[in-house]
Amino acid sequence: MRHAVEVENLRKVYEVKKRRGFKSVKSEVVSVNNVSFSVPEGQALAFVGPNGAGKSTTIRMLTGILTPTSGEARVLGYTPWKDRAKMAFHIGAVFGQRSQLWYHLPAGDTFDLLAKIYNLDKFDYRRRRAELVERFDLGPFLDIPVRRLSLGQRMRAEVAASLLHGPRLILLDEPTIGLDIHARQQLRELIRDWNRREGLTVFLTSHDTGDIESVAERVMIINHGRLVLDETVDSLRKRNTGRSLEDALAHIYGLEMHQAVVL
Amino acid sequence: MSFLRKYAALAWISARSNFAYAGEVGGRLMFLSVILFIFMCVWKAAFANAGQDRFAGYSLDEIIWYLALTECIMMSSPRVTALIDEDVRTGAIAVQLVRPLSYPLYRLASNFGEQTVKFASTALVAVAIAWVLGGPPSNFGTGAMMVLIALPMAFVLDFLGYMLIGLGAFWLEDTTGLMLIYSRLTMIAGGMLMPLDLFPEPVQAILNALPFGYIVCGPARLLVHPDWVSLVSLLWHQLFWVVVMGTAVALVYRLALNRIALNGG
Repeated sequence: MRHAVEVENLRKVYEVKKRRGFKSVKSEVVSVNNVSFSVPEGQALAFVGPNGAGKSTTIRMLTGILTPTSGEARVLGYTPWKDRAKMAFHIGAVFGQRSQLWYHLPAGDTFDLLAKIYNLDKFDYRRRRAELVERFDLGPFLDIPVRRLSLGQRMRAEVAASLLHGPRLILLDEPTIGLDIHARQQLRELIRDWNRREGLTVFLTSHDTGDIESVAERVMIINHGRLVLDETVDSLRKRNTGRSLEDALAHIYGLEMHQAVVL
Repeated sequence: MSFLRKYAALAWISARSNFAYAGEVGGRLMFLSVILFIFMCVWKAAFANAGQDRFAGYSLDEIIWYLALTECIMMSSPRVTALIDEDVRTGAIAVQLVRPLSYPLYRLASNFGEQTVKFASTALVAVAIAWVLGGPPSNFGTGAMMVLIALPMAFVLDFLGYMLIGLGAFWLEDTTGLMLIYSRLTMIAGGMLMPLDLFPEPVQAILNALPFGYIVCGPARLLVHPDWVSLVSLLWHQLFWVVVMGTAVALVYRLALNRIALNGG
C-alpha cells in the first residue's frame, strides 16, 4: 500500500518572548510533540482538535511552510520543507478564510491563471476545466466577478480551482466555514465524490462534525501537540452509540482537559 | 518560457483586476488639479521673485510638466508593504507558499500590473492638466518615449524598496512607520517636489548616490529634457540599483522564510 503522508516523531517547538517589566524572558512552547502517523493514498482523513492543539502547525509542516524542530515527514514521497516547490505541483489547498480567487474578476480568469502557474498543457487544462465546471456546477456563474458570488458559490469555485492541476493530495482547512446548510451539504458531497472517483487523498481540518461525518473515513484528534485518538469514523460512532459525533468529540476533548490521554 | 509566462499572466490579471478601480480616476483628477495648480502658483512666485525665466535650466512650464510626472509616479506607487504586512499578520501568505510560485516574484508581477494601470490612468489626467497649465513641452514625443523606456525599471526599483520594508513584517508585524519614512524619503530624495538639479551641489552628490532619484527624478527629467546620453546613464544606474536591492530582497526573504511562524489558528 502506498502512503500519501508518512510522519515520524514530528516535533515543533516555538520560542516565545514574555515581558516581565522591562525585561523580556524567553520560553519554549511545544506546539507539536512527537507525532507519528501515516495516511494511505486515497484516504479521506479528518484531522481535528481544539483551538491551539497543534493542527495548523502540523499542516504547515506537511505543506513545507514550517520546518520542524525534529522528526521526519514524507508527503507524496517529498520532504515538504526541502521540496516545497516540487511538491506544490502535486498538492492542492483550500483555506476556508483565505481566498485564492481574484476578487474583481470572474473565477474563470483565476482558472486560466492557475493553468499557467501549474504549467498545464492547454488541451488537458480545457478538458479538466470543463469537467470541474460541470461537476461543481460552476457554469451559471463562471463569468461573474467573484465579489458578486454567494459564499457557497465562491467555495465551490475555490475547491474546483484547487483541483485544476490534478493534485494527488488536497488539504482542506475549514472549507465549509460560514456556509449555509444546503451549500455545506453540496460541497461535502462534491469533495466526497472526488475522493472516491479520483482516489484523491483528502486531509481535512474542521470544527464542523458534519464535515467529518460526510467526508472522512478516518479521524485523528490532536491535543496539546499529541495524537490522542486515531480511528475510523465508523468505529468512533459505534463506540459512542447514543451520542452524536459532536458529543463524542466534545467528551474526548473534555477528558483531555482533566487528564492526559495518550495513545 | 513557462517561468516567464506565469508571472506575465499574474501581471496581466493584476492589471485587469485594477480596472475595477477606474472610478478612482475622478478622485485623482481632483487631487492632481489642485496640487499642480498650487505648485504652479508657488513656482510662478519663485520665478518672479528671482527675476529669472529659468532655474538650473528649467522653465516654469517645464517644472509643471516635471511635477506632473513625478506626481504620477508617486501616486501609482505600490501598496506592497501593506499587502505583505497583511499576508504575514493573517497567515494569508500560506495560500501563495503552497503554490509553485516565488512569493517575491508573485508580488513583483502583481504590483507591476497594478502600477501600470494606475500610472496610465493618472498620467492621462496629469497630461491634460499640465497641457492646460503649461502647454506642451518641446520634444514631447521624444521625451514621452524616453519616459516609457525608463519607467519599467523605475517601477521595479520602487517595488524592491517597498518589498524590503514589507519583509520587515516577519520581524516587526507592523511596518507602517517604516513605510511612511521610506515613502517620504522617496518624495524628498527622489525629487518629487523639485528636480534634484536645484539642490545645492554637495546635496546633489549625496542624492545621486542613492536609488530614489532613479525612480522619480530621472524619468521625469527625461520628459522635459530628453537626451539619449542621460537615458542610457539612467538605465545603467537603475540596473545597478535593481541588482543591489534585488539581492537584498532575496537575502532578507530567505531569512524571513527561516523565521516564518504563521498567525492564525
